Formats: sequence, C-alpha cells, structure tokens
Amino acid sequence: MTYLYLAIAASVLGLTAWNLWTEKDWRKQATAAMVAIPLLLRVLLIK
Amino acid sequence: MPFELVIFLAMVGVFAAGCFAAKLPVSLSMLLAACAGLLVSGNGLPVRHLVEGTFGYVDTILVIATAMVFMRTVQESGALEALNAVILRRFRTVPALLLPLLMLVAMFPGMITGSSSASVLTAGAVVAPVLILLGLPAPVTGAFIAMAGILGMIAPPVNIPAMIIGGGIDMPYVGFEVPLALLTFPLAVLFSLWFGLPHVKVVEWEVLAAKLDLETYKKYGIRLFLPILVVAVLMVLGKTLPQVFGMGLPVVFLIGAALGLVVGKRFNILSASKAAVNDALPVLGILAGVGMFIQVMTLTGVRGFVVVSALSVPPALLYAAIAVSIPLFGAVSAFGASSVLGVPFLLALLGRDQIVTAAALSLIASLGDFMPPTALSAIFAAQVVGESKYSRVLVKLVVPSLVIIGWALAFIVFSKQIRALY
Repeated sequence: MTYLYLAIAASVLGLTAWNLWTEKDWRKQATAAMVAIPLLLRVLLIK
Repeated sequence: MPFELVIFLAMVGVFAAGCFAAKLPVSLSMLLAACAGLLVSGNGLPVRHLVEGTFGYVDTILVIATAMVFMRTVQESGALEALNAVILRRFRTVPALLLPLLMLVAMFPGMITGSSSASVLTAGAVVAPVLILLGLPAPVTGAFIAMAGILGMIAPPVNIPAMIIGGGIDMPYVGFEVPLALLTFPLAVLFSLWFGLPHVKVVEWEVLAAKLDLETYKKYGIRLFLPILVVAVLMVLGKTLPQVFGMGLPVVFLIGAALGLVVGKRFNILSASKAAVNDALPVLGILAGVGMFIQVMTLTGVRGFVVVSALSVPPALLYAAIAVSIPLFGAVSAFGASSVLGVPFLLALLGRDQIVTAAALSLIASLGDFMPPTALSAIFAAQVVGESKYSRVLVKLVVPSLVIIGWALAFIVFSKQIRALY
C-alpha cells in the first residue's frame, strides 16, 4: 500500500508539474510550485 | 500590546493586502503572510518551516486531486447528464421529490471533491437549465446551485474546512460523516423546496427530453453509474471493514476513475486528469498555504495567543463572534476563515463535542463562498445561469444564510446531545 500511495503521489506530482509547465500566468505557476514541493519531497522519501 | 498580537496583525494584514490590494491568489497571500510572520517575529526566513507546514495537508491534497480526477471521469463518461435525465424522467411529476433529488445531483461533485466551485461548474451547470425549464427564474436557479455548492462542500465524505479546523488541533478527520450528514442533508431538502416549490411547474416529458442528453443513457444503460456505486460501496466498506477495505480515499477514487474509463463515452484520460488537477490547483495551493500559515503561527506563539484570547471571550459574545466573524473573513476564503478563525473558536469550545462542533464551524465557514467581493459560489452560479449581476443571486441567499448560521449554532450548543443520538 505504501508503494501504491507513492505512485499516486508521483502521478499527482507529474500532473501538477505538467500544469506548471503549460501555464502562462506566474501566479498559477507559483501556486502549482507550492503544491509540487511537498509532493516531490514525499516521492523522493526525503520527508 | 502583546508581541504575538503584533505578529498576528502583520500576518492578517499582509494576507488581506495580498488578496484585495495585490489581487494575488489566496494561496500566495497565505505564503506571503507566513513570511511576514517569520520576519516580524525575528526568525528570518527559515524555508524549512514553510515546507514543513505544507506537509500538514499532503494527504488531503492527494484526496482532492484524485477526487477531481474521478469527478472528471464521471462527467466525461456522460454519467452526470444521464443521472439528471433519469431523475427527471422518474420524478418530474412530483416536485417535492424532484427538487431535493436535483439538489443532491448538484451537490454530488462538492461532496466528492470538497469544492463548491466544482459543484457549481459541473453538476450545477447540468442541473441549472433543467431548473429554468421547470419554471425557476434565473436568479433563483443561481441561488439553488450556489446553495448546492456550499452544502456539497460541507456534506460528507470530503469536507476541507473540517479537515483544516481538525488539522489545527491535531484532530484526525474521522467520525465526521454522521454529523456532517445531519448538518447538510436536512438543509438541502429545506432549501431545494424553499427555492423551487414557489416556482416549479410540471413540464411535459417531450419538452424536457428535447433539452436532455438521452442518447448516452440509451447507449450505455445503467452501467454508466457503476463508478459512482462502486466508490460509494468502497467508502462504506472502508468504514465498516477497515482491515480489509481500508485502502483510503485516493485509491477508492482512482478505482472509480478507472471504471469511468470503460463504462461510458470514451475520452482521453491524460487530458482529463490534467484538466482535473488544473481545476484543483487553486484549492490545493490554499491547503499548502494554510499549512505554512499555521506552522508560522505555531512557531511564533501566535497560535497559543489566539487560543488564549478566544478562551477568555464570554460565551454569549463567543457565539456572536462565530456567527459574524467567520462568514465575514470568508470573503477572503472559506478555507482561510477555517484556518485563521475556525481553529481558535474550536479550542474555545473545548467543553463541547469536538467533532460535532468542528463540523458546525465548517458549515459556518462555507458561507464565506457567498460573501462579496469574492463570493465564489454565487459568482460562478450567476455565470452558469446567465445572470449578469451576481447580486441578484446573492439577495436570494441572505435569509437561507441566516438559517444556516442558526442551524450550525444549534449544533454547537447541543453538540453533546447530538453526539448521543448516534
């Protein structure tokens, strides 16, 4: 189950990063980055 | 003036300035407010505390993101429109049943995603033309779906304000289903009849059929509703048999989303998922920002100060403060109001049943989505029904909002008795 949740977190991270990449508005990019940071740390098992 | 008050005022001031003067999203305003709190308190800018704060809501972020993906698959597969058509066909001659059922359909996305905007813009947009066809004027229809938005946001299984309030006092989001259902479903029935009964008329099926998408249901039949049914069953099993089915909401939603791919209209799951997460990002960002805000409040002692201050308010004034300040602060964000005011008020009400009280506070916080100038739910609802002035929708929501406040306060006052009922 832990690996399944890591996979889900990685998927949400991927979709967030994809939105960040295609977004033109810097405010929305910054919001996406705020969401991506904890997900990235969780996926990398740093936190 | 206590130093903690200075820090708190600086944080709230920067937050309000970010939202209203700089027109920044609530998430970024929360981030800036947290930075202001750190700087004023003399802690510098320790990024680790900001990052640490976001982890308070990582699980909630996963729940909402997967719920949005599930909701998008339900929408793209045609199930939502089919459900609307089935309800209309069966109950169009019984308005007293039809209206509450349409209210439930409009609430459904909010119940799953915890977002009023998701309700208004998806199911609300499906239900609104039907309500207008049934005879409801546009502003009343707008009020109907705006109300469905906030009631859906508070109804179980997903209630973000309750998660935020609970997270503020380290209370897990467990055992909220019954009080949230008791809080919201009676109101849903009441307000559906309140808005609908004075205007609704029985319309010939042929007239309705011309406006509905009947082809999808004809083609795919009842299996269209399989994802919704499976998700509901897995949620119930997860509560009753947690050892076997306790897989958590994200997995349940993804199972539902996978089913949604094969039961109805075909669609591109990658594009749908990207769009779903894009829709969810403002809410997810707010959660990350709220986490930072609470972390800095805790680090600087502001949280304790606010709690002690709230505890010293006389009970009568406390209820008045809850009834007035939380909806007013909700003009910035219902989630922000839950975080900044909901948490201290819950701590000030420690003598009450904490779950019922947190659920009731979340209901009051949801009214922030009716509060101008942001009034998210009302503005989106006005757009959906083609009403140029959202104030015409808001006017219809004033008395129902007072009823909601009274209902929620009654739940707080009688929280122990209500808890004893189940």
